[in-house]
Amino acid sequence: MKSLQIVMCGLLLAACMVLPVSTGAQPQAAGRHGPPGRKPAPSANTAPIIPDDGPPPTVSFMTDRDPSTYKPLPRQDFLIVHATVLDGAGHRFDDADVLVRDGKIVAVGSGLDGGSARVIDARNRWVTPGIVDPHSHNGTYSMPLTSIDNESSDVSEMSSPIAADTWIEHAINSQDASFLYALKGGVTTLQVLPGSTPQIGGRAVTLHTIPAPTVAAMKFPGAPQGLKMSCGENAKGYFGGKGQKPTSRQGEMSNLRDIFYQADAYRQRWRHYQRDPKGPPPARDLKLETLAAVLDGDLLVNIHCYRADDMAEMQALASEFKFKITAFHHAVEGYKDPDLFRKTGTCAVVWPDWWGFKMEANDGIRENAAILDAAGVCVTLHSDSPVIGQHLNIEAAKAAGAGRHMGLAEPPEHVITWITSNPARVLGLQDRIGTLAPGYDADIVIWSGNPFSVYAQADLVTIDGAVAYDRADPAHQPVSDFQLGRKAGGTGQ
Amino acid sequence: MIRAFIFCLCLLPVTASAQDFAIQHADAWPMTGVGKVADATIVVKDGRIVSLTAGGPVPAGLAVIDAQGRTVTPGLMNAATQLGLVETGAASETNDQSVSNTSLGASFDIQYALNRNSVLLPVARADGLTRAVSYPSSAGTAPFMGQAAVIHLKENDDILERAGAALYVQIGSASLAAAGGSRSAQWQLLRNALTDARLYRPGKPDQPLNRGDAEALQKVLNGQRLVILTQRESDIRQAIALAKDFHLRIAIMGGDEAWRCAPELAAARIPVILDPMDNLPVSFDQIGARLDNAAILARAGVEIAIYASGNTIYLSYDAGESMRQAAGMAVGNGLPYEAALRAITAGPARIFGIDDHYGTLSATQDADIVIWDGDPLEPATYPWKVFVQGREASLETRQTLLRDRYAKPSPLPKVYTK
Repeated sequence: MKSLQIVMCGLLLAACMVLPVSTGAQPQAAGRHGPPGRKPAPSANTAPIIPDDGPPPTVSFMTDRDPSTYKPLPRQDFLIVHATVLDGAGHRFDDADVLVRDGKIVAVGSGLDGGSARVIDARNRWVTPGIVDPHSHNGTYSMPLTSIDNESSDVSEMSSPIAADTWIEHAINSQDASFLYALKGGVTTLQVLPGSTPQIGGRAVTLHTIPAPTVAAMKFPGAPQGLKMSCGENAKGYFGGKGQKPTSRQGEMSNLRDIFYQADAYRQRWRHYQRDPKGPPPARDLKLETLAAVLDGDLLVNIHCYRADDMAEMQALASEFKFKITAFHHAVEGYKDPDLFRKTGTCAVVWPDWWGFKMEANDGIRENAAILDAAGVCVTLHSDSPVIGQHLNIEAAKAAGAGRHMGLAEPPEHVITWITSNPARVLGLQDRIGTLAPGYDADIVIWSGNPFSVYAQADLVTIDGAVAYDRADPAHQPVSDFQLGRKAGGTGQ
Repeated sequence: MIRAFIFCLCLLPVTASAQDFAIQHADAWPMTGVGKVADATIVVKDGRIVSLTAGGPVPAGLAVIDAQGRTVTPGLMNAATQLGLVETGAASETNDQSVSNTSLGASFDIQYALNRNSVLLPVARADGLTRAVSYPSSAGTAPFMGQAAVIHLKENDDILERAGAALYVQIGSASLAAAGGSRSAQWQLLRNALTDARLYRPGKPDQPLNRGDAEALQKVLNGQRLVILTQRESDIRQAIALAKDFHLRIAIMGGDEAWRCAPELAAARIPVILDPMDNLPVSFDQIGARLDNAAILARAGVEIAIYASGNTIYLSYDAGESMRQAAGMAVGNGLPYEAALRAITAGPARIFGIDDHYGTLSATQDADIVIWDGDPLEPATYPWKVFVQGREASLETRQTLLRDRYAKPSPLPKVYTK
């Protein structure tokens, strides 16, 4: 049933991708001596598994062939006045002003003097940081979905359970209309992750939801890079179904331990070569390079997991190889053991009400976010779907409502952190976005009312202080190339 | 304490079986076109509504529930679910909503598969859903999906209310392959089948339709609702033409581009069952999808019913909460509030022919009633109390049991917490 396949792919997206192989990622341009350059000071968590007889590493496995060419849209300074401000850092300011100059937040307060800055009256309206979606497939599961996507989508490289050598940014269709729909919903930054069919899906990328001709022009300048991994049913179901390893969870763990041991040895070879550069350099291995970067602490590790015991296995793996798991994604059983997150500072990236569609998702509860939050865990909502990716504010409202219903009521100024500063932390951008405070990027949403009401609309969205979407101004309502001239419903109504 | 505990245990069953009571001080939406009735008194006897009056008295001796100004609506109805048919989506043996490799086409009928013990039913009910349509997603021959049922989310009872509530067909790019690759073929197969059904004679050999499918289609020719799941404007116009040619009572489901034919749909009295969150150009059939589809259709006078798909997840999981969210978002995009409430109560009741006993809070209707702790169109709102035919339903679900098991510290492993 073709229809069912399409539906199921849409249904489970990262969760249950059953799409066959697409073309591989482009090879990374290799310098003769490997990716040189910047190397952060070694951290305590990089002690090798194999005894390290060398000095601290100075080789970096983080060369970016396609650095950001992002430029903010034309902008002018502005002063938002008389707003209810949720600053993303836990505070609420009533009848408050927000001053923006040169794309940065200058001040949040009352009676601010903006000089010649444009004044935006936000009386009876609410202002929040731009929403951050830490889990998107926009640009790789591009609209419209067609039979071509059904046969070979760009969500995951499906030829191997270890697709660590792939970079999702090599696949992203910057013209995908879903970016613009996300923008219209107040999302200003999102992380595109590879899918979860491979155990190691590849390197992620963090983008602004800004219309641009290339992915490089959407890339968040200087954003740390993420890695996508997965555990549980997907890899064993897909590869096992083809008679390949892994056919089981234990096979998955075996694969991961094996590749991380190889990565550590690879890292050692480069260190030896750097110390004693005689003869040819070690052969480049793009898969091992990515995992060596994990061992160096240079990649932020995002792992798709549903069950609590699966997450415990992944924490054991991280402990064995001394890397940190930045976030578990989906994590529908997170509430069963908050210590899976709390002890390591791992964030929980969750839905409020998607569960049940497969066995490992059977025990999802709507109170997951609120329970983890109350336990002190960094909680964020996520979309995983372009439908949900337009209204993460309502996802947060549902999660908060479930918490309130069980006696864990949190005010809006706290709930907003679930879709702003907390996901910024998942992206390693907590000092640049997700909070309205002096020096932060002026990624701002003016809402028609309380953003946690189902009736709320994003009236105005700025990125780096430039208006990217304005509900009242057709000149600031972008339409994708695909939709142009097609009698589209559009994003502007 | 012990006495209080026993008291509670005794009280609950008594309350659950009492079908005679009154609700006082309700902010009630009777859904009879009168808007909201403040300080309403609703009298219920034998599981049916006797009266709804503003500030009315409570008959002597009747138990009273003080709603304290809370919003009260009819129990809600979701016009597109797979409740009772799907348990765990990826575990195919727990799903009964579709068939292949069978000769069952129009006659494929999901009524025999309904599982009254599905753990998804209490979740939907605890979100205020008391009625739903459970529809099949594909039958053995194109373009048929099969026969849907109206279910009644009663506790510990048969949930089948009305079998054969409608025949479903799917037209468009999502199901082309089964029809050989062209939507023209989909329409021709449907038209041919209807004509063959008209010509069918029992006992006569070598007819194009088997007996079951012929009888199923004859019901459609005789006035059974035909729901056409389709999105593109051209297909919606074909549906309007089909209804005219064969004198059919049809409804459009999906209908992302239905707003383009709103006046024609209104004139032909063709209702649309839609997901207001379905605003993306997900396929070439949905280029015209927009958030105010519901508002445009309602303004033109089209009867609408609202559901939520959520990439098909919401058809089975959280089918009450997600539908309320969808209705709320339609209001946020221009649908009048009462029209949105109607689209999840009286609207679907009328479309599926159960409006003689469900859909409004008026005399003789089943006492499917929800008292809400806030605005029912806000998905963060929960029911305070749910009544199904006058019986107060438990709001406990497998999900709340899991929540409570893990929320509290326990000396023994959690498996001992029940």
